Amino acid sequence: MKEYLKFFRWILITIGVLVVILLGIEGLHKIKSSTNHYERTNTECTTTQRVFDHADVLTDKEEQKLEDLIAKREKQTGCDIVLVTLNESLKEYAREIEPDVSYDQFVRVFAEQFYEENNFGYNKPNGDGVILVDNWYREDDGRIYTWFCTTGIVKDTYSDLDIDHILDRVYRDVETNPYKAYKTYVNDFYDDMMGTRLFDVDVPKGISIIVGLVAAVIFIIANWKSKSGKDTTTAVTYVEGKKADFVNNRDVFVRKSVTKRHIQTSSSSGGGHSGGGGGGGSHGGGGHSR
Amino acid sequence: MIFKCKNCGGNAVYEPGRKMMYCPHCESLDSEDIVPDNTMTECVNCGAPINIGEYTSASKCAHCGSYIVFNERVEGTYEPHLILPFKVNKDMAVEAMNKEFRKRTFMPSSFLSEKSLEGMNGMYVPFWLYDYQANYDFAGTGTKVRTWRSGDTEYTETSYYDVERHMKAGFDRVPVDASLAMGDGEMDLMEPYAYADLEGFNPKYMSGFFGEVYNQSAQELEGRAKEKVREASDKLMQQSLGGYSSITPRSKNLNLQSEGTNFALMPVWMYMYQYKGKTYHFHVNGQTGKVVGKTPVSKEKVLAYGLSAMVYVSAIVSLAIAILEVL
Repeated sequence: MKEYLKFFRWILITIGVLVVILLGIEGLHKIKSSTNHYERTNTECTTTQRVFDHADVLTDKEEQKLEDLIAKREKQTGCDIVLVTLNESLKEYAREIEPDVSYDQFVRVFAEQFYEENNFGYNKPNGDGVILVDNWYREDDGRIYTWFCTTGIVKDTYSDLDIDHILDRVYRDVETNPYKAYKTYVNDFYDDMMGTRLFDVDVPKGISIIVGLVAAVIFIIANWKSKSGKDTTTAVTYVEGKKADFVNNRDVFVRKSVTKRHIQTSSSSGGGHSGGGGGGGSHGGGGHSR
Repeated sequence: MIFKCKNCGGNAVYEPGRKMMYCPHCESLDSEDIVPDNTMTECVNCGAPINIGEYTSASKCAHCGSYIVFNERVEGTYEPHLILPFKVNKDMAVEAMNKEFRKRTFMPSSFLSEKSLEGMNGMYVPFWLYDYQANYDFAGTGTKVRTWRSGDTEYTETSYYDVERHMKAGFDRVPVDASLAMGDGEMDLMEPYAYADLEGFNPKYMSGFFGEVYNQSAQELEGRAKEKVREASDKLMQQSLGGYSSITPRSKNLNLQSEGTNFALMPVWMYMYQYKGKTYHFHVNGQTGKVVGKTPVSKEKVLAYGLSAMVYVSAIVSLAIAILEVL
């Protein structure tokens, strides 16, 4: 055991140091979040409900847990956080308001209308806040659409890239575990607004086990050596004077031949990509489909 | 024969660290008297029966612990011409083993334990030393290749040469072990010995160690010596042809002329380690301290350490990801 501990001492010390760092950072975050509270000043929003699970993808218990989490995060961020799940076509509804709206924008129209009709906004009606609308209904084009709608201070904070990122994270689990996905939405929104996350870490599941496995294989191969003793003699070890005598060496040039080869030059080709942008108005946001 | 201390009657042995005969009982130096033996079945010191092998020339009495050099096996046709006295004593051999193997992770823990290493024995291994005059004639075609580029064309010029070499080399004391108990590969790896320390045979150097007479004659083992000389000659010839891109031999003729043979005893420390029913042999050159051997691998250790490495590295990666996530 002593030999084992001595061998792994540095790796164990590293683990200890990392645990201390992790606990320290989490502790600092807890202190920071417990001392940071905003007073709600919007008096026109009469509902306290934030989770509207019309698609019924959450249990009552999960809905309550999300409501509690949102209540805490709203005070910390100073923003309303709303979640709506649907399971119905929004085509008729959206095109009544915006006749030429495309399929991917149906959820945007709904999200903006829902937010405004309920007077959401932490500081004032249609003020600071965010709403995520996840419509589980497969529209005529065969796709399911989700919209992340930002208003007020949130609109200024979130770039298109940030919206893509938070929707990517929600989509990672939404089909298998909707509760986890919507919890990610609330917590990531908090992290983004508070600036508590410096790095975007989006690593595949099981990466640490794969890295550990590869490291173990390399470790075993590197330490497998069992043989000792190499041939340390040379050609002159037993030669008197440590050198051989060469007499009457002959190196006579006989002939020469030259061959030639044409070298083909190759040309290279390149590619490109295109991107998109956002629009104006009182709401911002972006959508994904699956 | 046995070497007895004049002062206390104890068994005096050769001590490589001091390069002197030493009595471990009264610590006297060079105080030995030779007591010859008349038989190889009884200890000359205590009379206890001893059982030695067919080729044993020096051994230790299991009863009184005295080191005996058998007169009959170091005289006449068995008398070595040369001996290379031990320069590395037991402590130094143990240290060499420790230095070589202590960082072997998957080695069984008991491999380097004091108790295990206590069983190391010093032995004078019989060697034949062959002298040869080598004459090597070589003829062949050598090529030198030059490549250059001009525009989109690459040119390759190959020049052909008629090459001849005539090599003469004297090979001095090429060693071949003459012990059936010792692996040829292991004994070859023990080389080289520094011949400057070779001395005319004196049995006192064998007191304190085990020893053997040659198990095979010089004629029987000459093939191995010639093979060594042939390999070295080929290497030397190859070196002399270094300037060519390729060599195609036309004729090669190596003539080896024997110039004498010597029977010598070379010092080797031996360590035997038993692990899971198998015996592992290790050898330490008694002059240079060079170690040769293959350590056993403990499967339990591979499993435990490999799994630990996987778990610990996974934990570090997970913790690093968690830290980056909360930052």
